[in-house]
Amino acid sequence: MAEETKASVEKETKIKPPDSGAEFNEVEDLIYRRRSARFYKKQQVPEYLVRRLLETARFAPSSGNAQPWKFIVVQDRKMIEEMTRDVVAFCKLACRFIDYLDGWNPLKEWTAKLMQRLMNNLLHPIPFAALKLIAEEKLGLWHGAPTVIIMLTDKRCPGDPAVDVGIAGENLVLAAHSYGLGTCWVSFCTPLKMMPKWRKRLGIRYPYKLVTSIALGYPRGVPDGYVTRETSAIDWFAEDGTFKVVY
Amino acid sequence: MPEHLRIRDRLRIESFKKLGQDVTLGAVEIDPAKCTGCGLCVKACAAGTIELVGKKARMRTVFPICHSCADCVAICAQNAIQMKQFLELKKYFRYLDRGKPEPPRRF
Ligand SMILES: Cc1cc2nc3c(=O)[nH]c(=O)nc-3n(C[C@H](O)[C@H](O)[C@H](O)COP(=O)(O)O)c2cc1C
Ligand code: SF4
Ligand code: SF4
Repeated sequence: MAEETKASVEKETKIKPPDSGAEFNEVEDLIYRRRSARFYKKQQVPEYLVRRLLETARFAPSSGNAQPWKFIVVQDRKMIEEMTRDVVAFCKLACRFIDYLDGWNPLKEWTAKLMQRLMNNLLHPIPFAALKLIAEEKLGLWHGAPTVIIMLTDKRCPGDPAVDVGIAGENLVLAAHSYGLGTCWVSFCTPLKMMPKWRKRLGIRYPYKLVTSIALGYPRGVPDGYVTRETSAIDWFAEDGTFKVVY
Repeated sequence: MPEHLRIRDRLRIESFKKLGQDVTLGAVEIDPAKCTGCGLCVKACAAGTIELVGKKARMRTVFPICHSCADCVAICAQNAIQMKQFLELKKYFRYLDRGKPEPPRRF
């Protein structure tokens, strides 16, 4: 162990930041290439690989080193199907109240908008549209992935546990893509926390909270690749006291 | 300084019934000459935006809620797809502090 640490320190002293304009290194390339996979092969991911991935999550930074995460691995296809069915049913029910796109119904549209304002994260226009797609079974939940990793957080931990679980999950995701596996973050599993059946079966009760999940498997086709995205304005208070905005 | 919402926009929610006015949906351009009809882009899209018609991929005409993620662009082995329009929400959910689109840049 001590030798390993020493070796890594020696290696670190040799690592230098890139020169301006230099080619991307392997880590940068991996980050830029990662895309969400929504179409998987039937082949199961072997247990050792899943455990190897979960190990990367364990070493993520967390507020006060509290490690407030709890991972639930589901490889039971019947169970994945059953959870999917129940979430689809939930989305169908929700659409009955707020889907104002089917026909002319001003009251429904007004209700939907009020709810969107009150539950702005949950019902942001994008998940709002996805809710309809899931209800109509035009969008899958875990997209046929053979492995699902459900992520809970401990509500009593320092800071904001959702930040910690996000970091831990992304460690795992990036490692998975470095093996050529596919992943997709799936927060549409959260309706499960409202269903007594799944609260019981998955053991979701205080102090645990279901936050999100990750679909994992061998992708069909090659989903990974570079894409173009909007830049965002970065405010910069420079060393010389000046201020600028960069993109 | 961060961009903020106009007061009057805080209470106005975009309606998907007012496309163009409240929302400009994302859009992709698919070159039918390059498309082999493999269907991978249809599966990749989280927004049900693309459909296969006569072995060619095309954007759906009814409610194609594209959020310009470019997952379809990335998966197409034929390079048949390009981003044409990035999603714009124009009222309460307006994206703030956005600049023009760029691929990964090497500074
Ligand atoms: C917290 C979180 C939740 C997500 N939930 C879903 C989901 O429920 N279903 C889905 O298909 N994609 C989901 N995604 C994937 C996003 O749609 C995707 O990351 C985004 O469109 C950007 O595309 P990219 O991952 O290929 O770069 C989620 C992503 C994150 C980070
Ligand atoms: S991924 Fe490319 S080749 Fe395949 S159907 Fe879509 S556009 Fe056509
Ligand atoms: S950019 Fe994303 S949302 Fe738009 S069509 Fe392509 S995959 Fe679908």
